[in-house]
Amino acid sequence: MIARGRLISIARKEMRHIFRDWQTLVVVLVMPVMMMFLYGYALNADAKEIPVLIEMPSPDPETRAVADKIDASQLFAVRGVVATAADPAELFKLHNIKALIRFPPGFARDLRRPGGTRVQVLIDGSDPNLGTIIRNAAEPLLLGATLQVLGVEQPKVLDLRTLVLYNPEQSSALFFVPGLMAVILLMISALLTSVAIAREKELGTMGQLLVSPLRPLEIIVGKIIPYVFLAAVDGLLIMTVGRLAFGVKIAGNPWLLATCSLVYIFTALSIGLLISTLVKRQQHAMFAALGATMMPTVLLSGFIFPVASMPLQLQIVSHLIPATYFLEIVRGIILKGVGIHELWRPLLILSFEGMLLMAIAIRKFKVKL
Amino acid sequence: MEYSIRTEHLTKSFGSFLAVDHIDVSVAKGEVFGFLGANGAGKTTAIRMLCGLLAPTSGRGTVAGFDIIRESEKIRTRIGYMSQKFSLYPDLSVGQNLRLYGRLYGLGSKDLEARIREMAAFLGLEELLKRVTGSLPWGWQQRLSLACANLHRPEILFLDEPTGSVDPVSRRNFWDLIHRLSEQGTTIFITSHYMDEVEYCHRLSIMIDGRVAAMGTPRELKRDSGCATIHELFLKLVEKKPAGAAA
Repeated sequence: MIARGRLISIARKEMRHIFRDWQTLVVVLVMPVMMMFLYGYALNADAKEIPVLIEMPSPDPETRAVADKIDASQLFAVRGVVATAADPAELFKLHNIKALIRFPPGFARDLRRPGGTRVQVLIDGSDPNLGTIIRNAAEPLLLGATLQVLGVEQPKVLDLRTLVLYNPEQSSALFFVPGLMAVILLMISALLTSVAIAREKELGTMGQLLVSPLRPLEIIVGKIIPYVFLAAVDGLLIMTVGRLAFGVKIAGNPWLLATCSLVYIFTALSIGLLISTLVKRQQHAMFAALGATMMPTVLLSGFIFPVASMPLQLQIVSHLIPATYFLEIVRGIILKGVGIHELWRPLLILSFEGMLLMAIAIRKFKVKL
Repeated sequence: MEYSIRTEHLTKSFGSFLAVDHIDVSVAKGEVFGFLGANGAGKTTAIRMLCGLLAPTSGRGTVAGFDIIRESEKIRTRIGYMSQKFSLYPDLSVGQNLRLYGRLYGLGSKDLEARIREMAAFLGLEELLKRVTGSLPWGWQQRLSLACANLHRPEILFLDEPTGSVDPVSRRNFWDLIHRLSEQGTTIFITSHYMDEVEYCHRLSIMIDGRVAAMGTPRELKRDSGCATIHELFLKLVEKKPAGAAA
């Protein structure tokens, strides 16, 4: 049972706290936008102009032609040509290059012989992603360039055609915007509610509320309402910035996205509430909330690392995290434009988790009386 | 006699620890009742049971005529509670704090504004309504706490160490306010560890290790024990403790 007047009083009071504390408000409104731009540029996996050096013992026209083709590619930028590379490690250090492409002496001569010739590519593997990109790109590039120099048409054996669906330009924005939705909504909801309730305990005002005719449920609901609004505002903010700055459009039904987001916010608030029943201080609430939301969401929800490539134990954890399901929903709606027909399962799990956590939190909250 | 508070064998144990041990306390309407005891004697536990925040292990009690176990919701609308720690919102203004508590206790807008003016005048807070609460000096915060606890005209005021860390002049003023409220018919249930000021109480009890070791008017207590002050009596009761525990 909830009395409306008392509920509104508590919600209004909570709103006042939020607007009085402009620092929190800045965090709530500026942090998501900042994170979007950070992730937007940091997660940009499109490598360009990777600095390389070429070892060319015999600068005949053929070798130079192949080297020019390497330089002309978008992926590589040739920083120089050396006649011999006695100490490759020294060259990597000296010229700050990521790869050394070594042509053998007599490259042009051997090319036309049966059995062909060899080219060695030394790769700086300290950044594994970049190393993989170089390795994957080097062979087709060199092969294509050499065949072109020889004037030989590549024999057609297999015509491989790949077609990328849902995110045809492989834009990383389409990848991180849903992920950030999951991280930020969870963080704002869980962190702010748990801190807000811990603050009342620290101040002693919680005791004052509890001796008043307020019922525990009224305190909980009244305190939560403003944060639902804040989280919703953040969700809108992320979608707006995503669209304006990164060109992310929602392929599916925006209302379905909004509804699912509210379910997710509810689940996140339950986590915050549960944390607040376990701690007495704001700082503890903050660390607990960050630990329980930020880390698992970023690392285990499938936001950055695919769930399928995790070891079994972590996959189990991943399937307990609400963000995993929300991510499935958001990616489904934004990228694939699918509807409730395909998404009912994650939505159901998410709702169930939310209700379970909320029930435990309310129970614990009452016991703490 | 009409009682505001009445307990019979009220007991609370936490595991094997008896925090409150079969206490019988009766407080008449309009009385200023001092509830004394050392730290950890069980005062706060007893108050929490009377306010309906904690269920007793055994025994019974009524507050404002309602059963503390079954009717705690009714009790809560009829009591005011002021904790030993300042517990209002420091980031809200004085007026906003008063309005919040007024609404939580179900006062209507018209009544609430009239009541705020009345309480502000009574406690001398008129000039401060727009000030941010956290910026007020201690003594004024204390008065504001009293105003919030008293806004809804409670029949009984529970004051838990209200004069802790307040200067002597403010303490004296505070007691004047308490007595004026009592004259208007409000029952005051107050805990304190300042033995000089408890002589202002109409009646008092001294709690030692969860039990009521002595109860009566300050005069009776001093006369019966042969002590010159309540302070002396308190020390005597505390020192007697080991012998009492053995008996």
